[in-house]
Amino acid sequence: MSDLSVEFDGVSKRYKYFSLENIHLELPTGSIMGFIGANGAGKSTTIRILMGLVHQDEGTVRVLGHQMPAAQAAAKLDIGFVSEDMRLYGAATLKWHMDFMRPIYPRWDQSYADELARRFDLKPQQKIKGLSHGQRVKAALLLALARRPRLLVLDEPTTGLDPVARVEVLGELMAALADEDRTILFSSHNTLDVEQISDQITFIDRGRIIDSDDKEVFLDRWRRLRLILPPDVVVPSLPGVVEVGGSGRLPVLTTNRFEPAMVSACNDLGATVQAVDTMTLEEIFVANVHSRRERLTA
Amino acid sequence: MNYSMVKSLIWKDWYFQRQAILLALGGAAVSFGIVVFGGQPGFTIGLILLITVTVMISAMTMIGNTIGERENQTLAFMMSLPISYVEYTTSKILGNLLIFVPFWLTVLAGSLALILVSPVIHGFFAFAIIMAVEILVSTCLMIAVGLVSESKGWTISAMITGNLTLNIVGYLVAHIPGIKEGLYGSAIYWNSTATILLVIEFALIALLLGGAFFIQSRKKDFI
Repeated sequence: MSDLSVEFDGVSKRYKYFSLENIHLELPTGSIMGFIGANGAGKSTTIRILMGLVHQDEGTVRVLGHQMPAAQAAAKLDIGFVSEDMRLYGAATLKWHMDFMRPIYPRWDQSYADELARRFDLKPQQKIKGLSHGQRVKAALLLALARRPRLLVLDEPTTGLDPVARVEVLGELMAALADEDRTILFSSHNTLDVEQISDQITFIDRGRIIDSDDKEVFLDRWRRLRLILPPDVVVPSLPGVVEVGGSGRLPVLTTNRFEPAMVSACNDLGATVQAVDTMTLEEIFVANVHSRRERLTA
Repeated sequence: MNYSMVKSLIWKDWYFQRQAILLALGGAAVSFGIVVFGGQPGFTIGLILLITVTVMISAMTMIGNTIGERENQTLAFMMSLPISYVEYTTSKILGNLLIFVPFWLTVLAGSLALILVSPVIHGFFAFAIIMAVEILVSTCLMIAVGLVSESKGWTISAMITGNLTLNIVGYLVAHIPGIKEGLYGSAIYWNSTATILLVIEFALIALLLGGAFFIQSRKKDFI
């Protein structure tokens, strides 16, 4: 049995004004992948292909050992899916939704569902149309988690939530991670949310995966070097520099292959390293996107 | 095919359409009342009301169950369940027919009973059956268009087309040799012309539903 829960190989999907090109994506079982991209980058299309809701034009997709989209029904038995544009039936209560889903999922855990309802402060007898946006997201999350899925796919679940609801939802997701066999794919354009819970990060931009690695690797290898250059010294050529900012004598180099030896290399070339700044995931994402777009337009 | 899942989806559609079904049943009961107790003008008015109620229930359930799911964004929730699109399509076709057909059969049986207890209109027997099946054809047209287009506009257009066709077919059938001769008679009759018309109607139903199923099975994007 494969130790990959999700495997995209050379997947493409073309629309009139947008295309997803040659997507390779591997999600090991038990990992939590943050899938980051700007609006319209292709996150939702990728996730819909993963769920079998959109058929790829090229390439193969395997989810939990099932070929997609052909075996989507079998795969979805083990997938919990929540997306920002997903709505529950407004005229029905949360209890109705739970009663509806219980016989469908063999691993449905009613006591966990009841516990989540208490923790989320949801009243099962209340109709969905009477819930706030935050409560609706929590209700959808409850329905996804209570089926005890092996793979949890969350497409922008925290979009539009107030800070309190966001913290609660993220907290529950983190609690769900206690199950080591559960794999999570979490898409968002909010890097703060992703940074909190993910151990792997994939960036997507304009329909292409532009980088994918362990979160710690990203945070370790991306740095901003603030230099002071004497009048006759040029900006040193360093490996992995994706962006040169700052002013003439005070350049700021952004590198994605930082090594401590770079500091002494700069000094050897006559530049003074004023500071080496760590970068947030958001800064890394933005720098990554900008450098790729500049390379494409160059 | 996961029949248990299809059954759950049909049950769900019934649950959400229960008010529309009750409303239509109430409307049908009132229409029958007018037909039975309304004298000669009541018969015509009641019959028109019956047809209207029958068309209304098919439109309400189709728009509510299928188009409504897309408009209200509940389709993503539905499609996150362990179903394939073939099972989804099956549940929608069967679900809509299972709401409509019992109702339609009740209306048809009632209409035929009325004809049978009134000897002067016995001649309407074949015509009533052919036109009732034509209403079923219109409903299947709406189901097929609704499923394939997933658009309220196209579904309503299909409904209007079905209704207009109903009038045209009614006029044509009433003037077809083999039907018109016995239409205003006081004897029940059935001949090969009526059989051929019924076969054509059922072939159309099979074509519409089969075509919808075929197109749905080739769709690549569901959300």
